[in-house]
Amino acid sequence: MAAELFSTFYQFADVFAFLILSAAGLAIVFGMMGVINMAHGEFIMCGAYVTVGLVKLGVPLAIAQALAAVTAGLIGVAVEYLVVRRFYKRPQDSLLATWGLSLIVTQSMLLIVGSSITGIGTPEGSFAIGGYTFSTYRLVLFACAVAVLIGLYVTFMKTRFGVMARATMQNAAMARALGARTGRIYAISFGIGAGLAGLCGALYAPTMTLIPTMGATFVVESFVTVVVGGANVLLGTAPAAVFLAMIRMALNASYGQIIGQIGMLFAVILIIRVLPEGISSVLVRRGR
Amino acid sequence: MSLVDVKGVTKRFGGLTAVSDVDLTVNAGEIHCLIGPNGAGKSTLFKLIVGLYPPTKGTILFDSIDITEERPSARVQRGMSIKMQAPSVFKELPVRQNIQIALQERFSGAQRIFEEDRLLTLLNLAPDSGKVAGALSHGQQQWLEIGMALALQPQLLLLDEPTAGMSPEETFRTGELIKSFNAEGMTVLVVEHDMAFVRQIAQRVTVLHLGKIFARGNLEAIIQDEKVAEIYLGKTHAH
Amino acid sequence: MFKLLDGSQTLGRGWTFWSCFVAVLAAALIYPVFADSYDVGNFSYFLIWIFMALGLCLMWGYGGMLSFGQTLFFGISGYAYGVLAINMGGGSATIAALVLSIIIAMIAAGILGYFMIWGGINGIFFGIVTLSATLVLAFFLGQTAGPEWHIGPARLNGYNGMKGMDPLAIGDYFIEGSALYYVMVALIVIVYLALRMLVNSRIGNVIVATRENPQRAEMLGYDVRKYQLLTFVIGSGLAGLSGALYTSWGQFITPSSIGLPAAAMPIVWVAFSGRSDLTATLVGSFLLLFGFQTITVYSQQAALVLMGALLLATVMLAPQGFVLGIGKLVADRWSARRRLGASPALADTSRLQPDET
Repeated sequence: MAAELFSTFYQFADVFAFLILSAAGLAIVFGMMGVINMAHGEFIMCGAYVTVGLVKLGVPLAIAQALAAVTAGLIGVAVEYLVVRRFYKRPQDSLLATWGLSLIVTQSMLLIVGSSITGIGTPEGSFAIGGYTFSTYRLVLFACAVAVLIGLYVTFMKTRFGVMARATMQNAAMARALGARTGRIYAISFGIGAGLAGLCGALYAPTMTLIPTMGATFVVESFVTVVVGGANVLLGTAPAAVFLAMIRMALNASYGQIIGQIGMLFAVILIIRVLPEGISSVLVRRGR
Repeated sequence: MSLVDVKGVTKRFGGLTAVSDVDLTVNAGEIHCLIGPNGAGKSTLFKLIVGLYPPTKGTILFDSIDITEERPSARVQRGMSIKMQAPSVFKELPVRQNIQIALQERFSGAQRIFEEDRLLTLLNLAPDSGKVAGALSHGQQQWLEIGMALALQPQLLLLDEPTAGMSPEETFRTGELIKSFNAEGMTVLVVEHDMAFVRQIAQRVTVLHLGKIFARGNLEAIIQDEKVAEIYLGKTHAH
Repeated sequence: MFKLLDGSQTLGRGWTFWSCFVAVLAAALIYPVFADSYDVGNFSYFLIWIFMALGLCLMWGYGGMLSFGQTLFFGISGYAYGVLAINMGGGSATIAALVLSIIIAMIAAGILGYFMIWGGINGIFFGIVTLSATLVLAFFLGQTAGPEWHIGPARLNGYNGMKGMDPLAIGDYFIEGSALYYVMVALIVIVYLALRMLVNSRIGNVIVATRENPQRAEMLGYDVRKYQLLTFVIGSGLAGLSGALYTSWGQFITPSSIGLPAAAMPIVWVAFSGRSDLTATLVGSFLLLFGFQTITVYSQQAALVLMGALLLATVMLAPQGFVLGIGKLVADRWSARRRLGASPALADTSRLQPDET
């Protein structure tokens, strides 16, 4: 009995972690700047490739992953400065511009690196409960997802940067009038978003085959989570991930992966109809 | 004979009751003004009659037909025409095309062009007919939109603060325009703040306060009512 | 009705424009006489995609609805053609298969469109939902490689692609080579002219009004949802036409025509050309397709990099569209020369001339 319960929890944790890790970065960028970053998948890919590259050079996995996330973050800052900056509050244009960027990056990677490189294996370690075996690494991913949420909470709620960032999110002109350097805040926030994407890629790199188009695997689900969740990461993306993970799990269990994905899509469409601004609009107290 | 019958209409937004148990009758052929201080619920009541959202309770009748559940476009098809407060024309399209879109269901071909010209002259917009509507001044855009609303030749014209942002002279001309259409049989319901304008055009007046009907009657009666002046808290143009 | 060919929603009017049009058309019709059959076949291939581009132009440029679902309906119709052509046995039944598959795509668009539009999904979410639907279909079809995935004798075949359907045929005669080319040219002319008439008509006025200010359009008595659905169904149906023609041209269709990066291509063509005008889209898409084909022979990745770069450049530098921008520059210079100095300043005249009919 306990084994069944744990197994259910494990499956939930697996999907939840995937959704949080892939969507958190996107949610920050969307919530902060009203920008839809279609190159999100490419930051994920960047994190994965840098991780694998470093590991093959002998760097320990965890350090490689951290460095990969930072790399992605720095590239994100550059991208923000060069491209994204012009498209604040213009979701359609930012979507198209970053989609163009995404095409350029994936296809260039295909040209330069080729279609696949040998990956690195999932760290060993499994444990058994009842008749089931579970991979430890998957639980590590869950722990990371939770850590990301806590980290974001602390950053955005408890630090000075976080307060300025939230002020900028609500009313950039006012924030600027009160001394916030909104340009830097946007750059840093986009960098955080890209870094989180890189982290996602870095964490999942040992579990996947690396191809330049691997970002696409994450794109649909992360977009869906952000759309359902709305602009607020903590009060939107997290509950959305919970909700979608449960739907996904239930459908996967009964009908398999494809129905799982299709079911999630339908759930999204239904949610958008009922809550056009996502779950955030319900949970965020409108203190204005 | 009543053209619009609002019966027992209440509208709540979450915890806020914007309009509470309001009855309103607009008789055919009259110019009816809806006034009241800020926050009285005038705009909400207007939007309920227009159909932007449904009431929490109550019914709305137009020409004895229950339109409570109908979309704005359906209400317009029944004979209403609407102008909201902020100018809302097709900003990227030329002025003439704006009028054309309003007229095209009723007229076609050469006759439509004749009507376009007639309206453009009436609105003083003939020299600007090739410009994009967004290039017009605020007052001109208001006029363009009023013109488009009139182009539908409605039974009932609904205006929400049509003179907002207009100069006194433009305001007066708007009033005369509305009166001339009323003289031809058009019923008009206007939400207004500008008491001079109300005095210029109104025949009957309903006063809203805090979401409820405060007073109603002929223009003279309302103007002389001290209690109405009081709720405006000293705004001089209520006297 | 034919005076609707010229109107305020389309650039290009009067004798100059239409003479150029006739000249280009004449050149297109004579082309097979001088070119070899390989090139003619290639030309037909370019023309296949034009319908999808024009459909997106209608939805996005005129209707203001950015749909990422063009390849979704391309795929639905393409696979439907394959299934129907195989099951109905080929020969003249392929014509019926073509028509039916487009109808199927339009019905699918009607259903998805109804759900989205009546559900109040618009703006960027319209794009996200259509993109998601597209990716889900691609994903779904991608794992149908096993023999259990079939409709009648037609196997879906996953990424190996559905094969074995007949090309368009009348009886035993396959419509290929020059014959197919002429059919395509005829279809393009018909669709282009029909779209011109549509957008310049009263319905076109409402479509544009809905894009500009849906609330105002609603308050002029138009149920904007119906017009949006109509636009979506027609635009998606044109993508379906491309899909069915594609499958019939190559007797082959795979999920790669549906998912990424294929789904991005119509957006690139239309954005680069100038989504707000049919003629610009027609010309620009053709040029892009031509360029893409030329490069892709050497390196598909390089061609796609170029597409991505063009999309980025368009959004950053010329959001109105490069082809449209250049076209208007040329037109303004031309009319300035004719008017000898009284050239209209671009800044304050509207870019669309008032209706002079």
